[in-house]
Amino acid sequence: MITLTRLEILRVLRNRRYLVFTIVMPVGLYLLMVSAYSGVDTLGGVSVKAYFMVTMATLGTVSASMNTNATRIALERKSGWARQLRLTALPGYGYVVAKIAATAASTLPAIVITFAVGYSEGVRLAAGNWLLLGLVLWVGGFVFAALGVALGYSAGPDSLQPIVMIVYMALLMLGGTYFQFTGSMANFAKWTPLALYNQLGRVAQAGGSMSGGELTAILAYAAAFAALASFLYRRDRREA
Amino acid sequence: MSTSVEQVTGEARRGRGSGEVAAFRGVSKHFGTVRAVNDISLTLHPGETVAFLGPNGAGKSTSIDMLLGLREPTSGSVTLFGGSPRQAILDGRVGVMLQSGGLMPDVKVRELIKFASDIHPRGYDVDDVLKTAGITELADRMVDKLSGGQEQRVRFALATAGDSDLIVLDEPTTGMDVSARHAFWAVMRAQADAGRTVLFATHYLEEADSIADRVLVVHKGRLIADGTAAEIKARAGLRKISFDLRPEDGADLSLLNAVPGVNSLDVSGHTVRINSSDADAAVAAIYRAGFYPRGLEVTGVGLEQAFITITGEQDAADRNTADRNTADLTEENAR
Repeated sequence: MITLTRLEILRVLRNRRYLVFTIVMPVGLYLLMVSAYSGVDTLGGVSVKAYFMVTMATLGTVSASMNTNATRIALERKSGWARQLRLTALPGYGYVVAKIAATAASTLPAIVITFAVGYSEGVRLAAGNWLLLGLVLWVGGFVFAALGVALGYSAGPDSLQPIVMIVYMALLMLGGTYFQFTGSMANFAKWTPLALYNQLGRVAQAGGSMSGGELTAILAYAAAFAALASFLYRRDRREA
Repeated sequence: MSTSVEQVTGEARRGRGSGEVAAFRGVSKHFGTVRAVNDISLTLHPGETVAFLGPNGAGKSTSIDMLLGLREPTSGSVTLFGGSPRQAILDGRVGVMLQSGGLMPDVKVRELIKFASDIHPRGYDVDDVLKTAGITELADRMVDKLSGGQEQRVRFALATAGDSDLIVLDEPTTGMDVSARHAFWAVMRAQADAGRTVLFATHYLEEADSIADRVLVVHKGRLIADGTAAEIKARAGLRKISFDLRPEDGADLSLLNAVPGVNSLDVSGHTVRINSSDADAAVAAIYRAGFYPRGLEVTGVGLEQAFITITGEQDAADRNTADRNTADLTEENAR
């Protein structure tokens, strides 16, 4: 399984799609957003530069899970590679574990690079907060990795494209990646998975605390996505 | 069917194996109302090289899926090395080459084969695997940049990356040209000579004829023949008769219809070709009718013709009506 994970990481790093969606796009958007919001001081209780540093790091994480991993799983199910793997001594869950591990490993550079760009733009945190923020973003990324696996098993590669696109855009729009909603929409949007993830990042960044409800919601999303992934994965194996 | 010699070789190999590689016991698989596999029972013994034949949709793929534990039978049981197929696979006792097994993209051939030998409980050295499969020169190529025939060889290398006891190949030579096919079977023979049991599905009947020491024929979900290629050909009992008739010999072609045991009759120009289930009687009748056949040849049919005949017999039996032409001919003979 370690060999497979190593191979999966190698593949991700060789993949141009990964570079574009996970590294280039978040960094590019970060610079864009910071200049677009140049007249605004704070957003969501933190400086604009710090705000977007978090949302762009989470954007990279979510992209790696959704665009790269979900699509790959769907493609490899169709091509028969997933089936071929089931005829090796690899344990049945090995494929999914390796995929998630590779996603997790490949989101680390995305987080680090976004931090570096944020720092160069003048974001300053205590050393402990950098570490905490990095850790929170990285661990939180597993929630979306599970969602990516679930999506990958939900449909074939062709019908998956629009599904991924819709889920991805909805997550980003409601999650406050580009802007924050106000009014009644904000009350709804703040309970969406990516919004909670971003909120978690801001708390790690600037201190403060999350309500018990918000923490529960994060854990509930994690459990729900993992259960969905596990259900769809088993359904796929039954169908062979 | 005696395989005692191979059994000794197979068991001596590593001292494991119960004399039974795989067993189907009354296995059926239904998809809704379709009976894809209907009550198949068979046993594979160590060291056998077995060809699995059948037209498309005969139940070959479903049977192989059940053999490998990818599908559960509706009824009956499938065992591999006395246990569940899944366990045998986890133990690395089975190497599999699927017909359309996709390969992992974005990696080099060597990386992929290294992975296969790493996860095998008794994996071989990568260089040896590459060499055996004849793909040493492809080692640094990206997997997604290979031709169809090269991909097949990489799949073969995946199936043989470790010390397995059974090798299952589904249509292994699809997409290979003639020389690649020959090279492939030479490598495959070496696997069989090492005492491994080899099961391959194919629609190239000459491959089954020249390589397998046992041939299984499935048709409409049933196992309708199980024996050596020679036995199956003999069972079909067909021979081909061909000769020329010259107009000056005064031949009345309509008399040919009275020749007994004729399955098919084809006259083109002066050349007559007959497929006969009783060639001896047919030839005698041809002379008795006053024909003077020139260049008379009586030859056995290949496995392909035998295959068509026995699957055809099965179809006829299924329709529960005797083949009309044969019946008419027999009637005419009786008069």
